[in-house]
Amino acid sequence: MINRNFVERSILGVLSFLQDSFFSQDISLRNGFLQSLDPRIKLATFLLFILQILFAKSIGLLFFLYAFCLVLAVFSKINLIFFLARTWIFIPLFSLFIAVPAIFSVFSPGEALAVWNVLGVKLIVTKQGLDSALFFVMRVLSSVSFAVLLSITTKHFELLKVLRILKIPQIFVMTLGICYRYVYLFIEMIQNSYLAIKSRVGSFTHQKKGQEIVAWNIASLWKRSNYLNEAVYKAMLSRGYKGQALAWEEFKIKIKDLFWLFSVILLTIALNLK
Amino acid sequence: MEDIIFELKDVYFSYLGKFPALSGIDIKIDKGQKISIVGANGSGKSSFLQLLDGLIFADKGSVSFCSQELNEKMFDDEKFSNEFRRRVGFVFQNPDIQLFCPTVKEDIVFGPLHLGFKKSLIEQRLEKLIDCLDIKRLLDRSPYQLSIGEKRKVAIASTLIIEPEILILDEPTAGLDPQTTRQIIDLLTDVNMEGKTIITATHDLHIVEEISDIVYVFGRMKKIVKSGSPHELLDDIALLKENNLMHIHSHRHEDKTHIHPHIHWSHHTEEH
Repeated sequence: MINRNFVERSILGVLSFLQDSFFSQDISLRNGFLQSLDPRIKLATFLLFILQILFAKSIGLLFFLYAFCLVLAVFSKINLIFFLARTWIFIPLFSLFIAVPAIFSVFSPGEALAVWNVLGVKLIVTKQGLDSALFFVMRVLSSVSFAVLLSITTKHFELLKVLRILKIPQIFVMTLGICYRYVYLFIEMIQNSYLAIKSRVGSFTHQKKGQEIVAWNIASLWKRSNYLNEAVYKAMLSRGYKGQALAWEEFKIKIKDLFWLFSVILLTIALNLK
Repeated sequence: MEDIIFELKDVYFSYLGKFPALSGIDIKIDKGQKISIVGANGSGKSSFLQLLDGLIFADKGSVSFCSQELNEKMFDDEKFSNEFRRRVGFVFQNPDIQLFCPTVKEDIVFGPLHLGFKKSLIEQRLEKLIDCLDIKRLLDRSPYQLSIGEKRKVAIASTLIIEPEILILDEPTAGLDPQTTRQIIDLLTDVNMEGKTIITATHDLHIVEEISDIVYVFGRMKKIVKSGSPHELLDDIALLKENNLMHIHSHRHEDKTHIHPHIHWSHHTEEH
């Protein structure tokens, strides 16, 4: 019985994760501090923070920047528990598997803090190893937190537009925008196809049949995306697209944005002087 | 002759060279006319409209636009292509195809932006359109968040903002509720009153009378089987039946069951 809803759980779980992570604009629409900033200034200042984190040489600075990030999250009307959960999900992915071995003397020799005997092998946790692991984890945690904070407080289409300040060609930005637009459509198609199958064959699906259904879905989605590809290109041609993508610019920098930019620059200088 | 916008002579088109979509189409469309194309599914209506919009090209026969032969090479000329796209606007059958940008606003301004309109003019037209279609609240939303009626309005807006002289619409009222259908018909009528040519493919015989001076019926053989005024065609029950545009309808009145032909045009005016 465990396998009974395996396909359903997997498909719906993945789709729901995609919808939550890519399409939830709830936070970016709130009336918070970061949401009120010009996305270009916000991106520039966040890059400064991330660079600061990458080049930080003291753990104190990393703790300060992480705390500052949490303060920004609070001022941007983000529930702190939600934010911590969202960021800490990525930490094991990016750092834990690398950081854990580093705490042992095999990789980081030095002053022993704890010793375990596992199957006759001595595992020694060293102070140097623990420090470097903590440093690494804090670096990842702070960077990920700033990146997540930027992405959840900015509307996704604005983030795409802002990529242009990084001199990314408009054609890539437009392609990303179209992907973003159609991923949702494909998610809907997969969900509807799955429901259509379920309505005809019931909820019980043998594992092998389930694999076949998934394969059909992939093939059908491939065909549809191929059709969409041609049709969308025709729609673009019909409205004057000639191979060169143009963008509609409408960002406006306010005094508040300039004030924030200068504050961040000053803070960066001050932290570096220290 | 200046008044003829499109002229097609013995036009054939097939997909991949083996699936015929149009077989021997002859048609002339005059400036300022309201034309409707009706026909069963797969009768070639959408292919015909795409041919008019220069998105596909005839295998055989000739298609001319304002006395100029339309072929793929013509569109390599940027000046001609720009001029043509400014003059001819196309609303696709599936709004999910037409709305490909991350936001509604970007979708609406995509056309004029790529056709080289000035930003101030685009803004001015956008303001006018969002008032007219009541879509201001949708501007910052993504097209996937819209209902089908909203998507259709936005798709129409994304073409109307170019203010084309010729507006081609592929099933603009399919799947819409009566009120939205009415809004779209009123809009098309207004656009036609301004002197623009309207070419609409539809299954909805309800709307044909209002949006057409001439109706062309496309048959199963992918050719025009009849053309004429809306009344002339809608009264030809045999033709409508033959082309899947009406069906046998059975319903009860009190204790009696009636069976009679039914078209989605003049509901229940038939005698029982």
